Amino acid sequence: MTDPVVRCENVNIYYGEKQAINDISIDILPKQITAFIGPSGCGKSTFLRSLNRMNDTIDGCRMEGRILIDDEDIYAPEVDVVPLRARVGMVFQKPNPFPKSIFDNVAYGPKIHGLAKSSSELQTIVEHALKGSGLWEEVKDRLDQPGTGLSGGQQQRLCIARTIAVQPEIILMDEPCSALDPIATAKIEALMTDLAKDYTIIIVTHSMQQAARVSQKTAFFHLGDLIEYGDTTQMFTNPRESRTQDYITGRFG
Amino acid sequence: MTEKTAQQKQIEQRLQNSLKGRRAKERRFVWFGRSAIAVALIFLATLFISIGTKGIPGFFQHYVTLNVSLDAQRLDPLGDMSDQSFFDGEAKKLVYEAIYAELEASGRSKKKAARQILSNGSDVRLVSFVKNNIDKLDTVQPVKLALDDDADSYLRGFISKDTPEKLRRVNDIQIEYIEALQAKGLISYELSDYLFFGSASRNAEMAGIKGAFFGSIYTLFICFIIAFPLGVATAVYLEVFAPKNKVTEIIEININNLAAVPSVVFGILGLAIFINIFGLPRSIPLVGGIVLALMTLPTIIISSRASIRAVPPSIKDGALGVGASEMQATFHHVVPLAIPGMLTGAIIGMAQALGETAPLLMIGMVAFIVDIPNSVTDPGTVLPVQIFMWADFAERMFIQKTSSAIIILLGFLIAMNGIAILIRRKLERRW
Repeated sequence: MTDPVVRCENVNIYYGEKQAINDISIDILPKQITAFIGPSGCGKSTFLRSLNRMNDTIDGCRMEGRILIDDEDIYAPEVDVVPLRARVGMVFQKPNPFPKSIFDNVAYGPKIHGLAKSSSELQTIVEHALKGSGLWEEVKDRLDQPGTGLSGGQQQRLCIARTIAVQPEIILMDEPCSALDPIATAKIEALMTDLAKDYTIIIVTHSMQQAARVSQKTAFFHLGDLIEYGDTTQMFTNPRESRTQDYITGRFG
Repeated sequence: MTEKTAQQKQIEQRLQNSLKGRRAKERRFVWFGRSAIAVALIFLATLFISIGTKGIPGFFQHYVTLNVSLDAQRLDPLGDMSDQSFFDGEAKKLVYEAIYAELEASGRSKKKAARQILSNGSDVRLVSFVKNNIDKLDTVQPVKLALDDDADSYLRGFISKDTPEKLRRVNDIQIEYIEALQAKGLISYELSDYLFFGSASRNAEMAGIKGAFFGSIYTLFICFIIAFPLGVATAVYLEVFAPKNKVTEIIEININNLAAVPSVVFGILGLAIFINIFGLPRSIPLVGGIVLALMTLPTIIISSRASIRAVPPSIKDGALGVGASEMQATFHHVVPLAIPGMLTGAIIGMAQALGETAPLLMIGMVAFIVDIPNSVTDPGTVLPVQIFMWADFAERMFIQKTSSAIIILLGFLIAMNGIAILIRRKLERRW
């Protein structure tokens, strides 16, 4: 049994007075894909965003409990969010490349963190990241073109390249395929499986098929509660909870 | 069945009636809108015609070409071409001799009449002609000199021969002389070089906007370098970093109110603080620029905040997601995308500042300054104040000069707005 990389203990999250997450404890294992599923508004995105403190940017959002990454409390007062977010990267629902060149998009993270000592080193990092996201062959001749000129699926893979360029430990993906067509989705899913060899991936998805296809572990959220968490195969074939059963068979949500 | 039809008919009738009312309302509203546009266009056309008919002739003036003897000894007695030497010389006399000779004027009153046809600044003009044509010294050369504004007004038909001689500013002898010069073909009607290259002057024919133009440029320069960075920084702070609490709210409300404060109040502020407390000199573009910057700041802050808010938050999230700090995400990604909107707001604010008169009157930029300012600390005036001063003068020619200056000011404004649009087009990016 491997040690979990992320341990959440009794996490409560509030938006102002409203409680969005109710006392969730969950351990996430390294180098595999964990999927968060659940109906809209169940708090899965909120919970995901709390793992790299992106919720800090939302006014009135408050968190209780502990989240430990590598046994370090990321909400401890002395923790700086900048290195935390370099360690826990994030890919968003809507592809959001910077309105800059493809190269600059990928080079941005390494640049601000000072990861490259020279421009040739930077080029190597960018090439490596683009290869890692499977985009290299498609864009290697037009690295100076704007990233916003790519197709939706390519843009999302560019965002993944941007994230892996800073060598994070964990990649959070917030419904990364919801704005994409099935072909682009298939590519991203293949990519995720590939990336899981090196990174811990946590993905929020609306598509149960997607969760079933790519993830090893699945967590089912409902109304801010964690209903069930377990192996994906077990969850989709033989769920313990009736609510999980109802949801994955489409009886609600 | 029949009953139902009756009910249906009634409903149909009511619908028709209400439809009639709705349509009529719609038509009335459209008609109001169209007539409002028509009225606006009529006013605009009247404005342009009025300024155009008065202002375009103001760009031109009458010159007379006289054969002047460029006697080196008399022009430049010290022989060193210095200003002092020309000052000691007899440029004025040479000009007068030329006009006397041309008109064969003799006797005191006739000579006086003859020389008063010429502009007071004819000697200065002769000296500058000589400085540009040193090789022509000691020869007789045709020199183009400006007519006095009264003579010019006569030629423009503002002064009628039918008015009794005592009541007009040009006497009978002068009219005779002017017509004689005209008959000889010596008088020309050309684009006025004084208007563009002259400075403030009590003589209408010599008054120009160059000093005010440079004053405006210096003032706006100071205004921009103070107001733009300060305004953008304020907007970024308030929009991104400021905690959302009561204090911030009060600051925000006050910034919005500041945009509506009468501009003259800023002038009083400038007078009280920059001149009285800090002891800066009066009438200088530096103080004018600071005062206008205070006035422009709210406009820039408000438009900058709006353009920051218009940047999609996903861009900032993306930067934060790879570990950029709040500051980096803002200045690397949000601000560059907001810059076109910020600049547009800034230039509109500057255009407003360009047309501002009242606060500059308070800090003394209304002074009569002949020298063209060479720096932001040289006393000067600005275009709208120049217009204000010219509009105050009684001479007929100043009415035209005023309109000409208004045309130039409007041209300046249109150019600034054009630049704003160009910058926006150029920098605007899709995301």
